[in-house]
Order: sequence, then structure tokens, then C-alpha cells
Amino acid sequence: MNAHTPVLEAQAIAVTFGGLKAVDGISFTLKAGEIVGLIGPNGAGKTTLFNSLVGLQHLTSGQVLLGGEKVSGLKPHRVAGRGMTKTFQNAALFPDMSVLENVLTAALLRHDLASARARARAVLERLGLGPIAETDVADLTFPQKALVEMARALATEPKVLLLDEVMAALTPSEMDEVMAVIRSLRDEGLTFLVVEHHMRAIMALCDRLLVVNFGRLIAQGTPAEVANDPVVIEAYLGQGAAHGAAPGGTTAAGGAHA
Amino acid sequence: MRAKLTPGLVLLLLFFVAAALLPFYVDPRGHVLRVAAMALLFAALAQSWNIVGGLANQISLGHAAFFGIGAYTSTLLYLRLGISPWLGLVAGAALAGLAAALLSLPTFRLKGHYFALATLAFAEVMRVIANSWAGLTGGPVGLSIPFVGSQPLNFAFRAVSSYYWIILGLLVLVCLVFRLLASGAIGYRLRAVRENEAAAEVAGVDTFRVKLTASVISAALTAVCGSVFAQFTFFFDPDSIFSLAGVSVRMAMIAIVGGLGTLAGPIIGALFLIPLEEAANAVLSSKAAGLSQLVFGAILIAAILIQPRGIMAYWPKRWSRRAAPAAVPHTEPALAKGSQ
Amino acid sequence: MGRQAGALNRIPVAAPSPAGEGFLLPIPVDIMLQSLIDGILLGGVYGVIATGLSLVFGVLGVVNFAQAEFLMLGMYVAWFAWRYLGLDPLLGSVLSFVVVFVVGYLVQRLLIARVLKAPPAAQVFLTVGLLIVLENAALMLFGSDFRSVSVPYQVQGFRLGDIFVGAPYLYAFAAALFLSAALWLFLDRSWTGRAIRAVAQDPMAATLTGVDTRLTYGVAFGLGVALTAFGGAVILPYITVSPTIGGQFVVVMFTVVVLGGLGSVAGALAGGLVVGIVQSVSTLFFPIQLQNLCLFVIFIAVLALRPQGLIKGA
Repeated sequence: MNAHTPVLEAQAIAVTFGGLKAVDGISFTLKAGEIVGLIGPNGAGKTTLFNSLVGLQHLTSGQVLLGGEKVSGLKPHRVAGRGMTKTFQNAALFPDMSVLENVLTAALLRHDLASARARARAVLERLGLGPIAETDVADLTFPQKALVEMARALATEPKVLLLDEVMAALTPSEMDEVMAVIRSLRDEGLTFLVVEHHMRAIMALCDRLLVVNFGRLIAQGTPAEVANDPVVIEAYLGQGAAHGAAPGGTTAAGGAHA
Repeated sequence: MRAKLTPGLVLLLLFFVAAALLPFYVDPRGHVLRVAAMALLFAALAQSWNIVGGLANQISLGHAAFFGIGAYTSTLLYLRLGISPWLGLVAGAALAGLAAALLSLPTFRLKGHYFALATLAFAEVMRVIANSWAGLTGGPVGLSIPFVGSQPLNFAFRAVSSYYWIILGLLVLVCLVFRLLASGAIGYRLRAVRENEAAAEVAGVDTFRVKLTASVISAALTAVCGSVFAQFTFFFDPDSIFSLAGVSVRMAMIAIVGGLGTLAGPIIGALFLIPLEEAANAVLSSKAAGLSQLVFGAILIAAILIQPRGIMAYWPKRWSRRAAPAAVPHTEPALAKGSQ
Repeated sequence: MGRQAGALNRIPVAAPSPAGEGFLLPIPVDIMLQSLIDGILLGGVYGVIATGLSLVFGVLGVVNFAQAEFLMLGMYVAWFAWRYLGLDPLLGSVLSFVVVFVVGYLVQRLLIARVLKAPPAAQVFLTVGLLIVLENAALMLFGSDFRSVSVPYQVQGFRLGDIFVGAPYLYAFAAALFLSAALWLFLDRSWTGRAIRAVAQDPMAATLTGVDTRLTYGVAFGLGVALTAFGGAVILPYITVSPTIGGQFVVVMFTVVVLGGLGSVAGALAGGLVVGIVQSVSTLFFPIQLQNLCLFVIFIAVLALRPQGLIKGA
């Protein structure tokens, strides 16, 4: 695959929950080695979009291509096998397992038990989680959970990794560390689609941004372009007014978890 | 997991050795040995249930279905076609595995109460069929296996001790299977499925296949126990073999009282409950019908209220951690989501 | 039912009704209509019985596997009220309701309350334990005899053209309808009823508005099992009671509730009618022993395809 072939291609994907269009015909492509940010107000459909890309959410229409092959309609573990997975916004770890066991379970996708163990350790070391490998995840802090979440996703050895707010609750210096890891993984050929609320992180990290609102892609471009796009500014300012009385927004987010 | 010899494992091995020697110290034809054999058989049953109930946390209330399939298959093959119950036992296991696979199709998405309800209904279906299809099953009167003296090839022995050792061997086998599953790759996957199915899928776990594998193995082992039970007791009928309280619940209860999801739990539970029940029957059933069953139910309630993680919860954490029980209340998702 | 005509030809002249016990249909012209009516009369009572189960699940989030044992309890209360107080079971049902409500309230506060936040396994086995205890307690106290009542209208009935309506069935149905209406009024109008609905929807918010959730849970459970007990009492004129009677109703009850959607009270009533009709009509096509098999098939199919219920929200 040359550098210009898109590694991920979403073609007019739509997700409808009983009349409510959570994702309304979004199309975009990711090139290999890109770090792309996905931003938008709360309830804009970001998590639903992630879920539909990895197969957790059935598409009402449209399709998803990974490396040119159709992955929409496959179950999530098959999508993971093809090389795309995601992290969960609220750290959906296996609470009764140690950090290592969490990551190991994902490494079993491509390894037998013995080498999965080694593989899991390597991933943990890389994210600086080596010292807490044997800890029960129930005892972790929230930022640690988010990192373990990322480690578990990495252990499936993805080509495309969707990160859902892994940097929420990190201190600025921790954030810098995580961004350095993401960049170094990118340098090895991994492609990222990142949802993050820290604008500083998004601006510093991403090559390109996709902006969604009400389930539609309303803008895309470099961080600088997007930051000055009047449509985007309106979407964010408009949110303030709509936020207090927008049950639609919470419904979309709630539906995404169902 | 390498086969590390933890203190618990050593104790377990010692228990198996001691159990193997028991017939030399008690009356080989006596009541004590029969009760011991029944306790071991129910330990094996509880361990089979534990594969689905403990490792995958799928609360089955219908394992009597597989127990009955095993008993009926081997017995009917023997009575009607003269096929040795040793072979019938294999056929029963295969049939039960198939039944479990078919049942998985409509139920694999179900969790908790819904799964319990669906499995309960399945066992009831089997009971109704066994009662109504008299041409095949003999109907409500049940089936009797004629006494033929000692014919080892036909799974018939004179001494209780022979059955006892076979049952002990079965228990060892089931425990071995449980341990291989629990500590193997599938054990990690099952635990992942048990704790967060969506996250497990996204992390590359084929949740359907994992659950299917566990339930087929669990059903097949349960059916083997059913065949052995039939040979051991010489008689059974649809209502007792497909019984909710007598089989399905009892299997689960033994695993829960001992320690859900742990290797030793079902054994401890069976050694505690079956003799207790036997004693209660001996002492109480002369007083009033139903009293011993009432005690059985009361123990179940007490066990759930006092320690839902079972007797194994009192074992040093190091050893019981392996499959730390599914019965620990998890934090309420509503609270966790509150701050997002 | 496309095979209706063919089926009619095969029907024996006197088909036993689903409830058995010597209630023979007179010579029918339209068996289908007759069994439809039988099914509706039976189904109304199923509705009330299952409403209790659904209410308990809707409010407490617990599937009460022991629910049918409260039906048995209600039947015994009504039987003793008939035997020693001379009360007709239709009146005794009120006593059943009250007694079982108190028992249910205590059971909830002492036992169920402790597992409300526990995982399903603990809840399932607590109520299964309760089932075993109640059934065997009844066996100890009342013996294994089948007990029945005799009331003047037991063998009476009404004839509407070719259709025969058994009086005990009709009265039980009427009582069930009456109680359903009362329940609806209670949940809709009374403060306690509203509190129950509020707790079912959002316990946290209900607490904030001053609802005592612990009390409400107790009342809801008591009410749930009392409804089922009432349903048991009103069918006493045509069904005999024994300690194992619960086992015969477990499947019916769960099928009704699953059809209507667990937790939905209106769904349970509609589901009751469906199950009553299916049960009654299926006896025209299948031998009577296989009657419950139809229910099981429906039950598993509904659970698999639409666990949130067919009727609710459909």
C-alpha cells in the first residue's frame, strides 16, 4: 500500500436510533500514519461513530473500508483481527483482572498464551505501565485506567487505533508523555483517530481534524484551518445555548452506550 | 499458568489421594460409601456447572437438561440396543453438547435473569418431552436398569466401591478440564466476556465462540455425570432427573456455597452440603415431610446472604484470586457515568 | 390459524378444558370460539397473576423465582378462609391479598433488600432458595393433600347460543379485571402508587424528592406477591391447591411476563390474555400433555428474539 491509499475509508455511514440520526451520512478517509482528531460538542455522535467503525454499532447505511476491504457488518473481534480497534471512553477494563491480564487477553488475538504474556509486558513497558503490571485494575487511578485501556487496544496490534478521550484527567506532563508515545507509534506506521476534549492536546497532536455536529461532518482541515472556520465556531458557541435544554444530545449519547 | 504447586493445589491432590483410599476404611457395600460417592458425583456436577456459571458467569438453571440427556441416552441405548453404557456415555455427552450448541443460538445474547429463565425453560421442555414421549422414554414411570451382577464392560459392578472409584475418576477429570480451561487462553477470554462483553469483543475476543465452547464442554461433562448417575442408582424418572430443585439448582448451589468460579469450590461445597443433606434426611424426614428440603433451601438463602462468594472466600486471597468470584458487587454504572 | 377447518374435524366431541377437573364442554358447534372464550377467561387471571411478577421486576429489578409460591400461599389462605370462616374464595381473595402482602413486605425487608445491589446470581439463587423453603414449608404445614372448595356456582354456567361459559371462570375473570382496574387506579392516583412508579424509573431521583425507597421497595414487593396471591385465590373454585401447585404456574407466569415485557404491568395483562388463548386453543391441536410445550417454545423464542417483550413498545 503506498502512502496515498487511505488506510481507513468511511463511506456515507449513518446510524439511526428509532428516528434519531446519531450519525448522519459521514464520509472521511485516514491515510496511513496520520493522526486525525475528531472533535465536536457533547452528543455530536463521536462515540457512536467510533462504535460503528469497530462494529459495536450496526450501520443503518454506508460502509467502512479498512485497507480497501469492507469491514462494516463484521463483528468487533473480526474488525480487531483485520487491524482496527478502539478504547472506551469510560475505561471499560475487566475489573477482576490485573493490568497484565487485561492486556494479555487482547494479545491472545494474535499470539498463544506464552508469547501473549511477553507481548503484553512489552506493550505495558512502552506506555510506562510496567511497574503496575500486577496491580488489580480496580485499584488504579482514572488516568492509569485510560492508559491501560490504550495498552489493551495496542495489544491487538492494530493498524488503525481509535482513541476515545484517553487523555482526560491527565496532568499536562502526563499528557505530553502520552502524546510522545502516540507520535512514536505513528512513526512506526500506526494510524490514529482521536477524540479528545483538551484542545491543547488536539492542536498539538493532530495532523488534521474532523468536526462533527448533530451527526454530520461539518468541517475538516488542519487544526489552524478548523480553528478559524466560522461554521465550527458557531457550532461550539451554539452549544452553550443549546446545552441547558438539549435532551436530544443526551439521548444520542445514551443511545450510543446501549 | 505453569502447573505451579500452590498450597491449595497440594491440598487438593491430598484430598484426591485420601478419597481414593476411603473404600478401604469403610464398609465397601455400606451407606457411608454411597453417600460419599454421591457427594463426589455432585462435586463433579457442580464443577461442570462452574465452567459456565463461574468462569463465564452465565447463570444456568437448566443443567438438569444435560444431566437427563446423559442418563436417558446411555440407558436407552443399553436397554433397547444392548450398547454398553460406556459407549452410551460418550453418545450422551455428544448429544448434550449438541443440545447446548443449539440452545446457545437463541440464548447467547441473554444475560443474568434472562439467561436463567431461558435455561430453566429448556430443562422444563426436556422434562415435558420425557414425560410425554412414552414410546421412547418410558414416560412418567421412568427407567430401571436390571441388575446383572458384575459386568465391567457393561458398567455393572457388585461393589459400591467400584462405582465410587469411577465417580472419583470422573471428578478428577472434570476438575482437570476446569483447570485447563481456567488457566488457559480460553480462561482469560471467558473472564473477559464475564466482565465486559463489549470490551472483550473490541479487544479481539470472539465472545460467541468462547461462550459456545464453554457451554458445550460443560453440557457434555454434565451428561457424563448423568450416565454415571443412572448406572449407579439403577433407576430414574423424568421428574427427578430433570428436576429444577433436585438437579439444576443443587449443582449451582454447591458451586456457589463452595465458591463460584474457583477450582476447589465445588468440591468443598459438595463435601459440606451432600452429607449435611443426607444427615438432615436421616434425622428430619421422619419428623415431617419436606423438612429436610426446607433446610436445604434455608441453607441456600443463608449462604447467599452471609457470603455470596462462598466458603472459598475465607481462603487466603493468594490462592482464591485466580478466579475471584463473579459474585462481587460491581460499582453502579450510573454513578460512574455521572461525571462525564 | 390457517388449519382451523382441518383441525375441527379431528376434535373429539368433548374436549377437556385446559384447567381440567371435570369441566366438559357441551356439544359444540364452534369449538374455536368456545376455546377462545375459555382462553380469555383464563388469560385474564393469568394477567393478574403475572402482573405481580412484572411489578416486582419493574420496581426492584429482581426476577422473583419464588413468585408462584405466593400464589400457592394465596390459595391456602383462601382455602382456610372458606373452610373455617365460610368465606367464598372470591371474598377470601381479599384476605389472601392482605395476608400475602404482609408476608411479602417482610420477606422483602428481611431478605430481598439485602441483595438488591448484588449481581444477578445472588438474586436468582436467593429467590430460588425462597421457592424451595416456601414449597416445603407448605408441605410440612398442610401435607401433600389436594384441597378443593365447594361453592354453589361451581358447576353452573351461562349459555350464549352455542357457547358455554363456566360460572367460576367468569367470576374469576371478573375479579381479575376488578383488581387490575384497582391496581391501575392505585398506581396512577395514590401517592404511594406514584412513589412506586417513581422508584421504578429512577430510584435516585425518587429519593431526592422525598420518597422513602426502602419502604417503597417493601410495599412494591408486597403488592406484587399479593396480586399473584389474589389471582390464586379466585381460581380456587376450579383448581385444587397443593404445595406443588406453584410449579404448574411458573412457566405460565414467566411466559406471560416475557411476552409482555419484564417490568411492564400493562404488558403482563395483555400477555396473560395471549397465553390463556394460546393454551386453550393449542389443546385443539396437541395432546393435553404437550400444552405447556407450546408455551415453552413461545417463551424461549420471545426471550431470544425480543427480550424486552413483544407487547411493550411494539
